[in-house]
Amino acid sequence: MSLSQAARDRIVNDFIPRYPSKRAALMPSLWLAQEEAGWLGPEVFEEVGELLDLHPTDVASVASFYVMFHRRKIGDRLIEVCENPSCFLNGSDQTYARICDRLGLEAGHGGHGMQTTPDGKFSVRPTECLAACDYAPVVQVDLRFYGPVHEADVDAFLANMEAFSIQGKPSVSMANGPQAVPVDGWEGHAPPAPGSAA
Amino acid sequence: MTQTPPAADAPIQHGAGQPLPWEPVLMTAVGREGGRFLPDYLLRGGYQGLTKAVQEMDPDSVIKEVTDSKLLGRGGAGFPTGVKWGGTKRNPGPRHLVVNADESEPGTYGNRYAIDADPHGLIEGMLVCCFAVGIQQAYIYIRGENLYGAEVLEHALKEAYAAGYIGKNILGKEGFNVDISVTRGAGAYVCGEETALMESLEGRRAQPRIRPPFPIEVGGGLFGRPTVVNNVETLMCVPHILVRGAAWFASIGAPACPGPKLYTISGHVNRPGVYELPMGTTLYDLIYKYAGGMKRNQKVKAVSPGALACQLLPGTDLNVQMDTATLTRPPHWHPPFGPVGFGAGGIIVYGEETDIVQVVARAAGFFARESCGKCVPCREGTHWMQDVLGRIAHGHGRPRDLGILEDVTRNIGGRKTLCALGDFSVNSVASALRLFRPEFEAYCNGHARSSAAGSGVPVAAG
Repeated sequence: MSLSQAARDRIVNDFIPRYPSKRAALMPSLWLAQEEAGWLGPEVFEEVGELLDLHPTDVASVASFYVMFHRRKIGDRLIEVCENPSCFLNGSDQTYARICDRLGLEAGHGGHGMQTTPDGKFSVRPTECLAACDYAPVVQVDLRFYGPVHEADVDAFLANMEAFSIQGKPSVSMANGPQAVPVDGWEGHAPPAPGSAA
Repeated sequence: MTQTPPAADAPIQHGAGQPLPWEPVLMTAVGREGGRFLPDYLLRGGYQGLTKAVQEMDPDSVIKEVTDSKLLGRGGAGFPTGVKWGGTKRNPGPRHLVVNADESEPGTYGNRYAIDADPHGLIEGMLVCCFAVGIQQAYIYIRGENLYGAEVLEHALKEAYAAGYIGKNILGKEGFNVDISVTRGAGAYVCGEETALMESLEGRRAQPRIRPPFPIEVGGGLFGRPTVVNNVETLMCVPHILVRGAAWFASIGAPACPGPKLYTISGHVNRPGVYELPMGTTLYDLIYKYAGGMKRNQKVKAVSPGALACQLLPGTDLNVQMDTATLTRPPHWHPPFGPVGFGAGGIIVYGEETDIVQVVARAAGFFARESCGKCVPCREGTHWMQDVLGRIAHGHGRPRDLGILEDVTRNIGGRKTLCALGDFSVNSVASALRLFRPEFEAYCNGHARSSAAGSGVPVAAG
């Protein structure tokens, strides 16, 4: 595994000139390398380091800081289930467990490691907030967002992910435009505001 | 921006003639065909703020206008934007602008929708800042997960370059040159902290820097140069301030921190989402009037008013105004941990059925994983909290664990770390212990209210 000539050209001609220091081209260069190979191996650290005048260990130390850079081969598709409170309150634990179950993996809660199916088709792991909490529980597959994927939706989701895509969709609250519109008859459904009786 | 500001007492008619108190300023592109592209942005009055700045104003009067508008930063710290710009300009160039689009706070998602809907609104705000402060090189740092947002921005930048809004001698102004590029993060919550973000942009591990020197100073900013770091939503307000005037902006919502605000609400509400409302809208209105009330009609148990990094508000405190000033002043101030905090306006609502111990254990796990490891109290303390809370949440808590937790929170919190992540990590834990101590005690005495595998709550679809 090594960088293609096209990638090298892009790093030299596009990324490096964007910044006053060569080093700053590291993040986009690592993304590009990962897009080519799916993960980042020791050769990449050497090759990127050579282009940016950095020691390979220095490159590796940066790459290993960020959870989205993979330093070993992962499955063809990476499924990540948000486990932060907004998704948790809407049942993301159950979603995660069902996805693992359907793929023949063990849903180990508390651990944060990645699991990969024996055929190498899928990797699964829990992840942190994806900033799409109105579609909770949210699932990220290869950097695209899907939701809400409840436990009962998992089979349908695995069969046809695109049906759950929220990419480019407006917020749940903005289905009818940008205006924040009061819910019809909200006063009848709401408890009295604290202190309003006094 | 083709809209005129409504008179203060004129109710806006919408749809079926329902009177509405508020007309959106920032999210006008939503629901319009091609709303995110340049032609529609121009139809909506786009780039008029920049044109006015360049053709009718000088840089200092732009800064004065933004200062007079009393626009406070929307990213969480709430620093006055005009003051930041003026301070940066007093330091010698070259200077930089960095847009913080690393929105990763659990429960906060306004920036993502703002970028998706109206990338040119952000770009115009950036260009006004570059004109006012004298900046030629600007960077947008967007979280790695938000690939779609990065693509939307790249496309908008291409459009703006082609139309001459970015590049050399912008709008015919000799010497007004700006270049803007997008840099993607790769999954590190701490990059939302401005100095960690700059470290990452420079190609390093995202660990916060020691201040002073501050980012606006020589030696403290990006590549050691004076740097303005602004949130996406902050910059999106700027063109509207120039077009409609500082007085108009300052008249919206809470007087101490005025303007439109993208509130994001999630958790146990029926209609989670982004709600653009005036700063200072009450929590009660947000939950019941706009977000459709609580799922399964449960009562509100607690609220994270500024997402996970803030202290919990009890469910009895719903009359609170949601704005930077209110939530950082007494009685919303709890020594030694400080203000409850407003953050970036990401509201998580917990209903009665929530097992708060499980939520807090999850929060502790999040901060332990996201601690960058630079400062000892945070590096060691967050993992300690995670261990103790994990033990409690799994039903193995011991009575003395709560004392340990309190001790650890006091030794992380209270500005003992270079950035706020340390303080953030204890906020929900310390406030939950203050508000819901009997629940923790029940766990520690062998009476856990639910299994450790989840909230134990039946999940209603949709």
